[in-house]
Amino acid sequence: MNETRGRLTLETRGDVLVLSGAIDETSGLLDLIGRASDGNLVLDLAAVSFINSLGVRDWIRMQAAATKAGISVELRRVSEPVVHQLNMIIATRGTGSVVSFYAPYACDACGREESLLVDAVANHDALTRMDAPPMPCPECGAQMAFNDFPERYFSFLIAGG
Amino acid sequence: MRSPSILIVHSDRKTQRVVQRILGVTGYPIDIADDLEQGIRLVQHLSPILVVLDGAAVGSPHAPAFIAAVAQRGTEACMTLLGAPSAPLPTILGIGAITNLLVHPMPVLAEELTITAQKLIRGDLFGAEKYLLWGAQLHEATVVRASQRAELVGRISEHVRAVGQSARVASMAMLVTDELISNAVHNAPVDGSGEHYRKDLARDIEIELDAKHQVRLRWGFDARYVAIEVTDPWGSLDRDTILASLARNDVRDSGGGAGMGIALAYRSCDHLVFNLAPGKRTEIIALIDVRYPPSERMPASSYNVFVERATGVEP
Repeated sequence: MNETRGRLTLETRGDVLVLSGAIDETSGLLDLIGRASDGNLVLDLAAVSFINSLGVRDWIRMQAAATKAGISVELRRVSEPVVHQLNMIIATRGTGSVVSFYAPYACDACGREESLLVDAVANHDALTRMDAPPMPCPECGAQMAFNDFPERYFSFLIAGG
Repeated sequence: MRSPSILIVHSDRKTQRVVQRILGVTGYPIDIADDLEQGIRLVQHLSPILVVLDGAAVGSPHAPAFIAAVAQRGTEACMTLLGAPSAPLPTILGIGAITNLLVHPMPVLAEELTITAQKLIRGDLFGAEKYLLWGAQLHEATVVRASQRAELVGRISEHVRAVGQSARVASMAMLVTDELISNAVHNAPVDGSGEHYRKDLARDIEIELDAKHQVRLRWGFDARYVAIEVTDPWGSLDRDTILASLARNDVRDSGGGAGMGIALAYRSCDHLVFNLAPGKRTEIIALIDVRYPPSERMPASSYNVFVERATGVEP
C-alpha cells in the first residue's frame, strides 16, 4: 500500500521500502527506523527526484537514529540526485551501505545519454579505483562512456572522500 | 593619481591578452601585472575599480597583502578567474573577500567576464535577461502562499523536461528553485530591528503572503543556460552572509537560516548570482549550463555578489 507524505511516496515491497518523489520538510524520515526488519532498513531510492536542504537535515537525523539504534541502513538503486547529495554533504552518508546506484553514461556512437544502474558490490574494486564499469548502450549496443568525473561522482563510496 | 582603471593579475600572457581585449570594451585603461608582487607595487599608483585575479594565485603567500592593498585603494570589486579544475576553490571561498568568481576553461570566458564587468561598472544589476541570449523568453510567477513552492518546483521541472533537457538538469533546477523560494519566503523577511521573523517557522505550515511578502519567480532557457531567478522585496541578505554560506562544506544537523539552502543551491548550479539592493530587494539568479555533458563541466561553480549603491555597485 502506498503512503504519501507531502511530495514523497512510500511503498513497501517485501523487505524493501521504496521512496519516490522529493524528500523535504514533510517527509518525516525519522520514523522510517520503525520499518526496519531484523535490524535492517532497506531503502530503494531509484525514484527520488531531489532532496532539499530540510530533507537533507531529516535524512541525516534518520541516519544518526539508525546508527544509535544499531540498525543498518541499506541503500539500493540510489538515484543520481541522491548520489549528488551524498557527494556534496558527507554527513548524509551516515553508516549506511550503498548496494547499487545510478550513474550517467553517454554513447559516443549514437549520442544517447542514459542513467544506468551500477552494482556497487560486484564492481567494488573497480569503483574504489575510480574506474567506471563498462556499460553497453541500450540503443546501439556500443560501449558507453561514463559521463562525469569519476573522482567526483564516486567519492561517496570512499569513507571521508 | 591616475583615473580609474582595471587591473589584471595573471601569469599567462595569452590569458592577459584575452582578458585585456574583453575588458577593453569598457573604455577603462587596463593595467597588467604578471604576479601578485608586481600587482602590489602597481596598485600603489592606481585606483582600480576592478581587479581581475588569476585563481591559481589566490593560494600564494602574497595574496592577503595584495587583497588588503586593493581594498585600501577602494577598489570596486575583486574578481577571480578559475581555469584549472585543481584550482583552490576552498581557499578562494575561505578568504571571504572575493566577491566574484568565474570558473571557466581558460582562456575563453568572454560572455561571463563581460557581463560581470559591465554590471559592476554600470551599476545596472538586476534581471536574468543579462545572462540569456537575445530573444529568450522569461516566464514569471508570483508566490502568494508558502505551499506554492512545491507546485512551482514541479512546474519548472516539467518545463525543463519539455524543452528537451535531461532529468539531471531538471533535478538541479528543482533543487535550486525549491531552495531559493524557501529562502525568499522564510529567511528574507525582517522586522525593524533586523530580526528574521519567519526563519524558524516550520516550512510545512501554510503562510498566505500579502503584497509585502510576495516573491517573484522567473525562469527561462536558451542554448546555454537554464536560468532561474527569485526576487524578494526585503533586501536583507548581505554579502558576508553569502560568502560565508558559499564557503560551507558541510551542514549542521540543526538550526535554520539561509546558509544551508544557499550552499546547496550553489553546489547544484553552475553560476549563482546575487544582486543585492539593501533594504529594498534581493534577486538571486541560478544558471545551469546545458552546453556540456557532466564529464566536460568544470568541477566548481561561478558566483557573483553585486551590491547596489546610490552611484553604482560595491564589491
